[in-house]
Amino acid sequence: MASMRARNKIRAPRRSHASTPTEDFDAIWKILASSLSGIHTKNASSLSFEELYRNAYRIVTMSRGLELYERVKALEKDWLHNHVRSQVTDSILPILLRAENGPDRGMPVQEQSNERRAAAERFLSVLKETWQDHLVCMGMITDVLMYMDRTVSGDRSNPSIFVVSMALFRDNVLRVPVRPDLSITVEHVLHSTILFLVQLERDGHMIDRPLIRHCVSMLEGLYETVMEEETSRLYITTFEPLFLNASQDFYRAEGAQLLEEGDATTFCRQALKRIGEEQERCNVTLSASTEPKINQVIDKELILPNIGEVVRMDGTGVRHMLDQKQLDSLRDLYTLNARVDEKKSVLTQELSNRIIELGHEINTMSLAPPPPPPPPPAASGPTQNGDQATPENGKRSKDPKKEKNAEKEKTVNTQTASAIKWVDEILALKRQIDNVWLHSFKSDQTLHKSIDDSFGEFINRNTRSSEFLSLFFDENLKKGIKGKTEDEVDTLLDNGILLLRYIKDKDLFETYYKKHLARRLLMKKSASMDAERQMISKMKMEVGNQFTQRIESMFRDMAISQDLTTSYKRHMSQTNAADDDRPDLEVHVLTSTMWPMDVMGKNKNKAEAPPCVYPQQIKTLKESFERFYLDKHSGRQLSWQAAMGSADIRAKFVRSNGKVQRYELNVSTYMMVILLLFNEIADGETLTFTQIQEQTQIPENDLIRNLQSLAVAPKTRVLKKVPMSKDVKPTDRFSFNHEFQSPFVKVRIGVVAGNANKVESRGQREETEKKLNEERRHIIEAAVVRIMKQRKRLTHLNLMNEVLAQLTSRFVPDVKMVKQRIDSLIDREYLERLGDEASTYVYLA
Amino acid sequence: MASQTQSVYVTLVSSDGFEFIIPRSAACISGTIRRMLDPASKFSEALTGRCVLETLNGVVLEKVCEYFLYNEKHKDQANVPDMEIPAELCLELLMAADYLDT
Repeated sequence: MASMRARNKIRAPRRSHASTPTEDFDAIWKILASSLSGIHTKNASSLSFEELYRNAYRIVTMSRGLELYERVKALEKDWLHNHVRSQVTDSILPILLRAENGPDRGMPVQEQSNERRAAAERFLSVLKETWQDHLVCMGMITDVLMYMDRTVSGDRSNPSIFVVSMALFRDNVLRVPVRPDLSITVEHVLHSTILFLVQLERDGHMIDRPLIRHCVSMLEGLYETVMEEETSRLYITTFEPLFLNASQDFYRAEGAQLLEEGDATTFCRQALKRIGEEQERCNVTLSASTEPKINQVIDKELILPNIGEVVRMDGTGVRHMLDQKQLDSLRDLYTLNARVDEKKSVLTQELSNRIIELGHEINTMSLAPPPPPPPPPAASGPTQNGDQATPENGKRSKDPKKEKNAEKEKTVNTQTASAIKWVDEILALKRQIDNVWLHSFKSDQTLHKSIDDSFGEFINRNTRSSEFLSLFFDENLKKGIKGKTEDEVDTLLDNGILLLRYIKDKDLFETYYKKHLARRLLMKKSASMDAERQMISKMKMEVGNQFTQRIESMFRDMAISQDLTTSYKRHMSQTNAADDDRPDLEVHVLTSTMWPMDVMGKNKNKAEAPPCVYPQQIKTLKESFERFYLDKHSGRQLSWQAAMGSADIRAKFVRSNGKVQRYELNVSTYMMVILLLFNEIADGETLTFTQIQEQTQIPENDLIRNLQSLAVAPKTRVLKKVPMSKDVKPTDRFSFNHEFQSPFVKVRIGVVAGNANKVESRGQREETEKKLNEERRHIIEAAVVRIMKQRKRLTHLNLMNEVLAQLTSRFVPDVKMVKQRIDSLIDREYLERLGDEASTYVYLA
Repeated sequence: MASQTQSVYVTLVSSDGFEFIIPRSAACISGTIRRMLDPASKFSEALTGRCVLETLNGVVLEKVCEYFLYNEKHKDQANVPDMEIPAELCLELLMAADYLDT
């Protein structure tokens, strides 16, 4: 000790009580005891802290702290036991006890409830007062006895006097029988009273929340043991389980009742309201620590057992909400389901069921035979009818097989429309669901996936979805986008692409798209090249490079052809500038493998259509171009596809009154050939169908169609036909119609544009499928070989998996087909079955 | 002294009658004095702002007050110069510190 060195200088501390000579312990205690009682009776202002403190200090310095501690304890116990307890028990009116004892604990009858409520509040407020007084007094006493606390309980051998007094309060006020003859303690009454008030609030009454809050915080401030562990708060050990139990019963009953009412919307609203209430209750009235637990109770009792039924509820469930676009209700339902189930499986299930159902409706609508067309008007005939009814569709409104059945043509037209309607409706549905998803489902990923799956499912259930979608694009690129802003076009295409994403057989779509695109390009029907290019880049992004390769090369061909045409023109004007009579020529040189077969003039047997006989003038032109082209690219072969071409011709019509009327006719190449025949013969003479056929060598199908538009269609009747019937028969005779009338100088004679841009008939579809399957066989074989080349050895299962994985971006291969291909590759000695293990393949280099 | 409970200054009185008027915040460095002045407990000291410390004489209380102010001045600082403690007061100051819970 430092003082040792300077002992002589250190003043000895005065032995504690300089002012008051030695007093004995009992005297000091007497002063202290009366002062402590003074604190309890709220007379503290007359007391001096210093004096009390000094007295306590003195006792402690007499080494009798422990004794003091015990005495204070006894004093407190006595105080609580004799004064506070009676105060509290007196405030408990018999009605509270009756309710406690009564058989119907939770819910007294209504008239009783008011009375009981008043009693309850009185009891609680007395208890609260008592508790707060106790807290304040004990705070003061602890302060005064601080020095004692420091020595007596500083080493943790004894709990501090404050803790002890809390325990005393617990044992002497709360845990004492209300009446000497009853076993019910104050604590019990307190619990049942709070539960009663909570129940009142749940029933929609106003209660004194702060009062309850105070009582609850009292329970939180008291512990089971003097160690004061967090988990041994009285609130947690006694009240909370009771509260949760009561809530459990309550919500189980409420769930059953709501279910009985049978309205999903009400259920959701009520459940959410309850959740909010409980949350508020925990924060304001009870303890925040209860919130997760009561939430669990709600989830377990109210939501989990009922949500499935609610979702499927007849007439009000998810179905109804979707149909009625009740976004709020859906959102409620989502919130509830999300609480109890991470995956929201019930909701997901019902949602996807409904989507598939709706999709199915759309499918059936588009596939079902359209309502029987009205009986064809007797005189005008269906062809004209078609032209007039849908003038904007006129270009593609005719069916190649019209000679077979006029009504069938109508059917096909309606089907084209219904294909587009199908796409539109799916898009509308998608928009609607997306809206719901965004607003009600908080953009939930799981649900998004399930929505996508559902869409994929029903779209692929429609075997013609690829075709329909391609038709949709065709329609829009031809005229749908006219007069639309770039953004609108963009959205439109994006929508289409969206559906493309769902389509599994992308190669089928590619086939159709190519076919339709070929028509658009060659016949210049595309409304905007920009849009076409945009479309391709979108497809590329969606499906990949490989997919758009051929489509792009079609575009390349078009571009090259344009250059070619210009350079040919330049070439011609250089070589024989004088020849003004020479018709202008615009060629499209197409790479035959890239373009769809039927555009390339190949029929089912893959034989090329015999070239038609061109008039001399055209023939010269054709030969001159061939010379020019082959000069540039030797070794190539040009085959002319007259069926795809068109021509502008100027025609003179001499009226019967001698006037001459000129028209510019835009016709197909075949029409031009036919019309030029009439230049060779004298006015008024006729040609028979057979004659025309012999002279031109135009295939019969095409000839019929072209003659039909020239001689039958009312607006473009450049030829007269005898007899005047709707159909063209081999015996018909044709002559030039000088009386041709048209309001315009330029006349476009509707090319009966074959079969490309409308829904295929059954036969054509089988054709397409056959071609497609053939192509798929190659693709599968290529994939198998590719994989085996790399792996050398693979089991059947692994090979299958890899093939499927490689191909799914294009189409979903048929397992049987893959097996066949593997067998065929084994036959051709690309692969070998590995010895005795039949299920393993080896690649043979 | 005007006895507003929340007044900034408090009066400490020694056993031999010396009065020291120091800021409340400085005085409350002592746990004992802080509790004594706690406005929530309605002891007479808290009401008057005047603490009579019977156990301390003027000399010791002066040093105690000096320490209070020294502490107040240098709190939250590092490298504070040591306070000068006369050796003869050592023991008494130690006892005072114990008493005052400083």
